[in-house]
Amino acid sequence: MTPTTPVLEMTGISKRFGAVQALTDVNLTVHAGEVVGLVGDNGAGKSTLINIISGVHSFDEGTIAVSGERVSFSSPQAAQRAGIATVFQDLSLCDNLDVVANLFLGQEFLMGGVLDEVAMEKKSWDLLRSLSAKIPSVRIPIAALSGGQRQTVAIARSLLGSPALVMLDEPTAALGVAQTAEVLNLIERLREQKLGVLLVSHSMADVQAVCDRIHVLRLGKDAGDFDGANTSTETLISAITGASDNVVSQRAAKNSLAGTERTPS
Amino acid sequence: MRPTGSQTSLREANRALTVEAVRRHGGITQVELAGATGLSPATVSNIVKELTAAGTLAVSYAVRNGRRAVQVTLARGNGLVVGMHVGTRHLRIALADPSSSIVAEHHMPLAPDHYADASLDRAAFLLDDLLDRVGADSGEVRGIGIAVPAPIDPETGHTAVPGLMRGWDGVDIAHAVQQRVGCPASAGNDATLAGVAEAHTGVARGIPNVLYLRASHGIGGVVVRGGTPQIGRRGAGGEIGHVSIDPDGPLCRCGNRGCLESFVGAAALTAQLPAAYSHLNYADIISEASAGDPLCGRIVADAGRHIGLALASANNLLDVDLIVVGGELAETRELLLSPVRHSFERNAFGAVGSAPAVVAGELGVRAPLHGAIGLAVSALAI
Repeated sequence: MTPTTPVLEMTGISKRFGAVQALTDVNLTVHAGEVVGLVGDNGAGKSTLINIISGVHSFDEGTIAVSGERVSFSSPQAAQRAGIATVFQDLSLCDNLDVVANLFLGQEFLMGGVLDEVAMEKKSWDLLRSLSAKIPSVRIPIAALSGGQRQTVAIARSLLGSPALVMLDEPTAALGVAQTAEVLNLIERLREQKLGVLLVSHSMADVQAVCDRIHVLRLGKDAGDFDGANTSTETLISAITGASDNVVSQRAAKNSLAGTERTPS
Repeated sequence: MRPTGSQTSLREANRALTVEAVRRHGGITQVELAGATGLSPATVSNIVKELTAAGTLAVSYAVRNGRRAVQVTLARGNGLVVGMHVGTRHLRIALADPSSSIVAEHHMPLAPDHYADASLDRAAFLLDDLLDRVGADSGEVRGIGIAVPAPIDPETGHTAVPGLMRGWDGVDIAHAVQQRVGCPASAGNDATLAGVAEAHTGVARGIPNVLYLRASHGIGGVVVRGGTPQIGRRGAGGEIGHVSIDPDGPLCRCGNRGCLESFVGAAALTAQLPAAYSHLNYADIISEASAGDPLCGRIVADAGRHIGLALASANNLLDVDLIVVGGELAETRELLLSPVRHSFERNAFGAVGSAPAVVAGELGVRAPLHGAIGLAVSALAI
């Protein structure tokens, strides 16, 4: 076991939309086998950051490195080729198609010009079993599945391209408790498979349940990077809302900084 | 993937595969079972017929996608009991029949400092889902047992020592569950219940005096004498995790110094990781050690040495017949146990030649869940 290069390393990312400075100097790292939570209030810049990572938006300043290689995505396809899989909140599944058809939509296995249904079904089962997924059948339409099962299918599909990083946007937002449990267990499976996972969520309970590190964004800036196992909900909430960012704490931080190194203030 | 060999062993393997799939899904139709196991529909049909006749599975008729379907569940006796283990980072909940065999089970990761109200609400929803999966209604549930990682004061029903579970202080746990689910509930310490489960159905079956140690996020333990846990006046008996092995040692979350837990609890183990390993968590240390990583192996071995020392002091007072080590850390088997034995034998009184055996638990990390089911079943009998 040796120190690994992070699967995703973003340094000094800034993004401006016209007059709105959406992101300012954001730094974020995700290692293999690590689940990082990205939390923040509405308008904190989570979605912008995700869109930048998944290649939907460009960025103005800063660098992104995927598995140690500096990249700049011109399209979502480029991000996917680089090993970044994104599962968006709406899942982008076709309700009328069955699980196999959804998994392989646009990337079907062919054998002599016709669909190789047998190979695809086999691969589907392998994939779903590796995630310990509770899908009763791969030949039922997506419309017949529960919210948690749909999320599972969407995540399984993202794994087909053997990504290094899986990004999940609000995977538990519309789910009941039993389905949430299923998705959280699934995230633990992804971690065991040594994938980097970036989890964006508003639910503190879910983020704290599975994340190794929790990165807080506030008003487009980094508001802290916390250890998932030793950080209380109160600390996270105060970082999200800015309650911990006041004159007293700023002065304390400045004083402690002045004690160690000389910085012009 | 399917094992090769004689027809008989193949049939056995296929049966096991089928039962496992039914257990995992709770309830599943016969057609779906073929997909989930990879067996042919004819084979599944035969196996289901055999196992239904043998009383392992039960079938009922349902309608799926407008077609008649055979719904397969595990057979259960009259009435159901629920076992619940609210661990430090996990929630496990299982439905079992009164013979204590599990018919359906849920698992959910929890935040590090979870609160009683939120966690119990989630547990109640998961229970609803389990009942739904096996096609039972809530009226069939006759009792609930809850295991929590802290001693429970038998008089108040609160945790006996405040601060061990911050979000659960001052909550009458059994009562809170009873209010949510509407059937009798009882609560106990997870290490105590795990020890009782090992003594009743696990590796310590039929052994009169057993010392059980559960090495998980926290460290707990219990003395089981003739199948009965010795929990003491306030329910805090057997707390071997808070035996001090070094009066100048690190501070423990209980407020004392040098407790066994402050050396071998999850926080103590992850704190030892050097920077290059800092992305590992407690579960990773266990899996990496088992996979042969020398540094994680050393962390586990050192933990074993400390545990052996505490067990030696405890056994000098108790002189038990068998010592059982369970919990997540014991999943590393001999990596943990051989240093435990070594240090135990070096420090125990007159241990040479006549020391009690130190063995790993048989029920693994689900021992507290089995214990909670046992607690619910024994409450039924009274």
